[in-house]
Amino acid sequence: MVIYLLYESPSGYCLLEAHGLDEIRQNTEAVRASVSDLSRFGRVVKLIAFQPSQSALDALNQINAVSEGYMTDELRSFLELNLPKVKEGKKPKFSLGVSEPKIGSCIFEATKIPCQSNEFVHELLRGVRQHFDRFIKDLKPGDLEKAQLGLAHSYSRAKVKFNVNRVDNMVI
Amino acid sequence: GGRGGMKGGSKVIVEPHRHAGVFIAKGKEDALVTKNLVPGEAVYNEKRISVQNEDGTKTEYRVWNPFRSKLAAAILGGVDNIWIKPGAKVLYLGAASGTTVSHVSDLVGPEGCVYAVEFSHRSGRDLVNMAKKRTNVIPIIEDARHPAKYRMLVGMVDVIFSDVAQPDQARILALNANFFLKSGGHFVISIKANCIDSTVPAEAVFQSEVKKLQQEQFKPAEQVTLEPFERDHACVVGSYRVPKKTKAATAA
Repeated sequence: MVIYLLYESPSGYCLLEAHGLDEIRQNTEAVRASVSDLSRFGRVVKLIAFQPSQSALDALNQINAVSEGYMTDELRSFLELNLPKVKEGKKPKFSLGVSEPKIGSCIFEATKIPCQSNEFVHELLRGVRQHFDRFIKDLKPGDLEKAQLGLAHSYSRAKVKFNVNRVDNMVI
Repeated sequence: GGRGGMKGGSKVIVEPHRHAGVFIAKGKEDALVTKNLVPGEAVYNEKRISVQNEDGTKTEYRVWNPFRSKLAAAILGGVDNIWIKPGAKVLYLGAASGTTVSHVSDLVGPEGCVYAVEFSHRSGRDLVNMAKKRTNVIPIIEDARHPAKYRMLVGMVDVIFSDVAQPDQARILALNANFFLKSGGHFVISIKANCIDSTVPAEAVFQSEVKKLQQEQFKPAEQVTLEPFERDHACVVGSYRVPKKTKAATAA
């Protein structure tokens, strides 16, 4: 049973594969230990695909869907392209670990990709968050924060109904 | 000229506080200050103090009012460690209009960053406006009860500061720590007794909150009262997922 991980970063979607979990999956404590150790975690979890956002608008569309627990067409094609095919009538030999159950059930309903979101997956995703800049080699120091900053502003401005062209536009 | 209050800038001496990134302005009266990340600009009409350095350059500081900021009140209350320091990454829950956030932004400096979460749209617009000029502040208008909603925007952080004033605030802190607080990281939580249970004495509320935190992998280390700046408020500081000591170390 192979476990893949979906990590939604501000610069794009990442798909990772977790190896050699049999030895460490017995208890969460062991996973925690391997997560904080950088060299060990790098051996356990490997990046297999990264799909950068096409534009600021694209990134905003992705986060709006992700935060509501929906799968966009872009995410669907990314997953279908990079994960093993799910054949009808056969039980898949892999599963996809996701951050929260809602997006998991949304992915499963549309693509039949089996998803899981539990404490074990959460621990692994904590590790990905912690060592993210190590997985994406092209990322320069500060790039991630820049992506977070740009996306946070567009996400938050939309939330408070800011008009980009005007300082104030009260909507009550 | 025309700077009110701390008149005669030359007479004011600014000294570093025990907490890195915090300073004390010594004039007629002492004031807690932070080094302005955006010199020339006030955020909420707070007083600014400009001090001439030995090489002739000037450094501007902003006065940090403990009656308006629980973190400042905790510092004056003698908290041992705030863990928020230059270069730190901080997740700030309950950012409101961003007055304290702006001082945390000064404190962590250009190398650090503050993820500021606020749900109210009214305060949120002030927060977003403030963040326009302070690029180490990442404004997030979202409900702190649902960290999954903003998981794309936040990296792993060193410290979570929480001032959400909600009955389930221990749970809110735990949910966020589970997503974003590194193992061995720290939390600072402001607890307003009235917001949790107004029928029992404040001290009993603090005790039960500390107990709740202990059940969520937090290890509270110290507690200070925010008197005389806030009534029935406490600030609790501690660590998260402290790595278990090896047996040899425990024996020793």
